[in-house]
Amino acid sequence: MAVSTVYTTHSLNSSCSISSPTRTQLGSHQRQVVFYRSSSCRGRSSRGRSVSVITCSTDTVVIGLAADSGCGKSTFMRRLTSVFGGAAEPPKGGNPDSNTLISDMTTVICLDDYHSLDRYGRKEKGVTALDPRANNFDLMYEQVKALKEGKAVDKPIYNHVTGLLDPPELIQPPKILVIEGLHPMFDARVRELLDFSIYLDISNEVKFAWKIQRDMAERGHSLESIKASIEARKPDFDAFIDPQKQYADAVIEVLPTQLIPDDNEGKVLRVKLVMKEGVKHFSPVYLFDEGSTISWIPCGRKLTCSYPGIKFAYGPDSYFSHEVSVLEMDGQFDRLDELIYVESHLSNLSTKFYGEVTQQMLKHADFPGSNNGTGLFQTIVGLKIRDLYEQIVASKAAVPVEATKA
Amino acid sequence: MATALANVSLSATRVAARPDSGKNPAPLASPFVKSPWRRAQRGWGMHVRARMSASSSPQSLSDQIAESVKKAEETCAGDAESGECAAAWDEVEEVSAAASHLKDKLKNSDPLETYCKDNPETNECRTYED
Repeated sequence: MAVSTVYTTHSLNSSCSISSPTRTQLGSHQRQVVFYRSSSCRGRSSRGRSVSVITCSTDTVVIGLAADSGCGKSTFMRRLTSVFGGAAEPPKGGNPDSNTLISDMTTVICLDDYHSLDRYGRKEKGVTALDPRANNFDLMYEQVKALKEGKAVDKPIYNHVTGLLDPPELIQPPKILVIEGLHPMFDARVRELLDFSIYLDISNEVKFAWKIQRDMAERGHSLESIKASIEARKPDFDAFIDPQKQYADAVIEVLPTQLIPDDNEGKVLRVKLVMKEGVKHFSPVYLFDEGSTISWIPCGRKLTCSYPGIKFAYGPDSYFSHEVSVLEMDGQFDRLDELIYVESHLSNLSTKFYGEVTQQMLKHADFPGSNNGTGLFQTIVGLKIRDLYEQIVASKAAVPVEATKA
Repeated sequence: MATALANVSLSATRVAARPDSGKNPAPLASPFVKSPWRRAQRGWGMHVRARMSASSSPQSLSDQIAESVKKAEETCAGDAESGECAAAWDEVEEVSAAASHLKDKLKNSDPLETYCKDNPETNECRTYED
């Protein structure tokens, strides 16, 4: 019987090492120790006296972010990559219309790049980009899988300006791969590859308000055209995009405020962070007492808030028959001390120092949602993903992989 | 032995996996695998049309938005429930989102900074310590 014990250590660069067939003269009870520079290696020992096949891969952690167009994916991506430090930029010297963003730690790819039908093809067939028939899930699966295994891929580029598919770009396996788009959790095979998934669930009222903000200044648009576009896309949205939220580990729900009666301006928002329980390497944030049901109005004697104030809620709930914890914030921050006060009362934030949430929010005060629950919860999810990544790396480094074969 | 092995690095792990390399795993169960659209991505060449020139400016995208809204209204005049109508409004959404992203990109970028990121060695991008 040959026993090979493989100790893995994590290294900051993601290069891989391999041992070629080795032979020792120790006879049948031998023990080989092989050091790798990268984790997630599998050693297979052949019967007899040598470790003959070693496969190695990098530590790519894959995160999925799903949302409809115009629902804040880009802002979320900017907050997320900022938590990891370093600016995320398009690939240098590549196609200026590339949708990819690369930073030291993260690579964000846009799943529109896996459109199988370009704008003209969709028009011809009468299908929207939301329709699975306009997307190539086989290629999406193959390439995400390859990147997760540490292999570079030639990924197509969907050009949002021309509506055409441009020549592919080479994507190297990053430490953290984020796949964002309409369908990261649609295909079961792709879903299996995700270490963590997020769904941005924007209510119809808020979606309408956001699109008015975005498009009204365009001379081609009117209230009618904005409304017509949302309505025409809705059947496909309901059929193919919305159902993905049941698979998400975290859902950020954005709703109209309840602090102002009959408000439909969409300026003040009520935002819920739905966090699945029992997800590996992810422990939900809580308010005061984990698992209890709490309603909290921080504005009072110690903290004065301006109209319409701030209201928090926290408690256990059920979401698509999963056990979840829900943290809710209604209202908005008008002053810095409000944000710090709130941060100091939340637990399990996975911050590295006191005030990190506030610091991240301030750093990007110009991003949409920086004064309300969308910015707060996006930042918290970003910190949670950093924590998840660090836990995955640490668990691979700490536990010696034992490969035994009789 | 162990230390020697630690320094052996395998560069061949970074081989680009071309999706059409021929040894793709058999397509796994997906309800759309058999669809005729699948053919489209198998060869890059035939799918890539010439890029429209000078199309990535906010002005041209504004024109595209106006044009696509007009076309969507026309397409839907006949049948508001049709796939063609949904596809036409989907194009409006896509172009509107692209215009908004482009505006964000331009708002946050300084032309000299952008140029120097790609050409740090040129004279206009030199920085002096003293």
